Amino acid sequence: MQTLYQPYDSPLHRLNPLSKLLVSIPQMTLMLLVSEPWTPLAFVVLTSLNLLILGRVSLRRFLRLLWPLLVLVFLFTALYPFLVRQTLVQHTPLLFEWGIIKLYQGGLYLALVTGLRIMGLLISSLPFSITSDSADFVRALVQQAHLPYRIGYSTLAAFRFVPMLQSEMSVVQAAHRVRGVDSQPGWRGSLERLRRSAVPLLTTAIRQAERTALAMDARAFGAHKHRSYFRRMRFKTWDWIYILGSWILSGLILLALRYFGLLGSLHVLQIL
Amino acid sequence: MSIIEIRALTVKYARRKLAALNQLSLHVQKGETVLLLGPSGSGKSTLALTLNGLLPQAVGELREGSVHIAGLDTQEHSVADLAQTVGILFQDPDAQFATLKVEDEIVFGLENLGHDPHTMEARIQQALADVGAAALRERPVSALSGGEKQRVALASLLAMQPEVLIFDEPTANLDSMGTQQVFALLAELKSRGEHTLVLIEHKLDELMHLIDRVVVLNPQGGILADGAPRHIFDDFGPALQEMGVWMPQVAMLAHELRRQGVELPLFPITLGDAVRAFRPWVASVHPETVETAAPTTQSTPAMQVKDLSFSYGDLSALQSVSIQINKGDFLAIVGANGAGKTTLAKHLMGILRPPLGAIALEGGEFTDIPTKAVARKIGYVFQNPEHQFVTETVWDEVAYGLRVMQEDDDTVTRKTQELLETFGLARYAKANPFTLSYGEKRRLSVASMLALGQDILILDEPTFGQDERNATALLEILRGLNQQGKTVIVVTHDMRLVLENANRVVAMSAGKVLFDGAPAELAGKPELLSEARLTLPPLARLSALLATEYPHLRNVLTLDNYLGLKH
Repeated sequence: MQTLYQPYDSPLHRLNPLSKLLVSIPQMTLMLLVSEPWTPLAFVVLTSLNLLILGRVSLRRFLRLLWPLLVLVFLFTALYPFLVRQTLVQHTPLLFEWGIIKLYQGGLYLALVTGLRIMGLLISSLPFSITSDSADFVRALVQQAHLPYRIGYSTLAAFRFVPMLQSEMSVVQAAHRVRGVDSQPGWRGSLERLRRSAVPLLTTAIRQAERTALAMDARAFGAHKHRSYFRRMRFKTWDWIYILGSWILSGLILLALRYFGLLGSLHVLQIL
Repeated sequence: MSIIEIRALTVKYARRKLAALNQLSLHVQKGETVLLLGPSGSGKSTLALTLNGLLPQAVGELREGSVHIAGLDTQEHSVADLAQTVGILFQDPDAQFATLKVEDEIVFGLENLGHDPHTMEARIQQALADVGAAALRERPVSALSGGEKQRVALASLLAMQPEVLIFDEPTANLDSMGTQQVFALLAELKSRGEHTLVLIEHKLDELMHLIDRVVVLNPQGGILADGAPRHIFDDFGPALQEMGVWMPQVAMLAHELRRQGVELPLFPITLGDAVRAFRPWVASVHPETVETAAPTTQSTPAMQVKDLSFSYGDLSALQSVSIQINKGDFLAIVGANGAGKTTLAKHLMGILRPPLGAIALEGGEFTDIPTKAVARKIGYVFQNPEHQFVTETVWDEVAYGLRVMQEDDDTVTRKTQELLETFGLARYAKANPFTLSYGEKRRLSVASMLALGQDILILDEPTFGQDERNATALLEILRGLNQQGKTVIVVTHDMRLVLENANRVVAMSAGKVLFDGAPAELAGKPELLSEARLTLPPLARLSALLATEYPHLRNVLTLDNYLGLKH
């Protein structure tokens, strides 16, 4: 399966996937809760520096990853003020009016906040997703988070099955086109197409899964309750430094924002 | 003591009426190399699964008898215990991986057994060195070639240090390069003499010198013959041919000659044997009776490809390919996996839309013709027949194309009936296509493609995964269609198919056309063959060996060529 992961030797790559997750998840939660632009902005900058310095992500790749996010945020910010419920922003100054289209200052502000929060949310996940090998992640989940190993290995198998089924799907559809199968427009056509492709796809998937299962059994999979591991996943000193360091730094940023009166209130459920 | 002891074994699968194995008894001595043969459906793979306890512990049902491996009863000992004694290398290189990386794959079995990391490191190094794959250790399995995948899969078995190794058609999904790699490994294993080897395989000529013993299963799942290879192929040859079982090509030639009353001094089963066995017979051939293939006179173009290039993302698949396909050609497009054969064929059908001006169909611009009209002119048979099935019965499957083209009911009925009879499928008219055997599915996919009476038929790897009889039957049909004037285009890496059937061959490598001409001419260019990573079939190699003494044999490339020699 195509993931964002790119193998490289950097401090972030060398960390345990779980420690990266332990930093990313609280950050992402924070992005869901804030209601002003400064916190997301601070964390976008912090995470970017993290990726560039600790992740050794080249500026070129960083920009390639970033530009779809920027486009998304820009579109969002451009459209949001017109879609937001007018009663929320009517009390703020009117900046622009053309027919029924009205742009309020409050609308623009909310758009900026929401755009930055989405950006913060997405970028916070990157240190984990672009520097963690999926096999290592599964290993860490099994070894440290006590995920049953059968489930872990099924997840790994899925990583191989998804691309196989994708290519199979395109072959089946080409094969059907060659037979002169017309795809009728509308939902009926789509449903019929899906049904026709489903049988060969399922046949292949089931056959493949059976073969994989046999091959795994034949190498003693599931023989014992516990299995050993060639690569032991554990938290090393650098993992603790990364986790605690990130938490402390995040705490300091929040305290500073609060000191300057920039940190608004945190809402569990808020109107977007 | 026998390392494999099978006593009166009867095995059944759920929802099948007949037993897959029937009262089968077999003893294999430690260190023996046994070749297991039999028609498709005779239970070869089933037998392989019983040897490590997967049957009955994971699939199937053991009705009677017993299997002991190195003294262990497979019904009493778990598959996990037996895994350290028996390893199976399966056919599909992709389906037998459990992890994403080579190293993870090698340790997978050892981890399951709870070995410590120190032992594992030593075993990884040893196993990878044994298969010559030390450089692959850090690679993702998805980036390996077919041959490399099988080597890694074998290394993952060797890491568990089994005494018995079973190879269940390990080269069936590989091109000739991959096949050579696997055979080289087999020879290496055999020469070390540490393992008992059981092989299921049908590319036999290159293997025969490794085989100590041949066991032939009959269609009922019992043993038809068991003995030394020369004895089996000599005495049971006609019976094997009858059942559609592959045998060494040189042995097949010996039987055909015997039918003509020629007795050879030695019954050949390897190329080395064959040179000695056939030399006296060949010596008396009149040089001028050697037929040379008549050059094709037809040259009305059916399709023209001009300067076609194509790439998948950054990966270039075709580089300015230009060929002309003439009406009535039996054209083979050959090359190793990834050479661009299928990509070219997909452009011919418009599955991949060719750029303007790149392909002309009967003189007209291809891109101007709507897909439906192309389907009237060209039929395309995919590698996996199941991919093309769109209906629920065999009858509807053939009738489908006719109905799409809005033929009237009478025509649909008449043509469908005709085709089903031609392809020997009439008695399955009401069956679901997915329930047919592999060979029948293949025939059905060809039949349903021909319903519209297309003039051009393109087939992707038509003989892939078929037994001798099905492969021969299909090619006979294709030759018949060709003789009726249809243009047949076959994508393949099977040079035997090419030499026996095609009148023209296009050899590709890395997206470029290396050669375009008569098959016999390509066969005489070893440097081109190796560049296209192709290997000649056994009989063509035999004639190359004999040609050092008898140069007129150079163009004798197929069984029919040999039988046409006059004395």
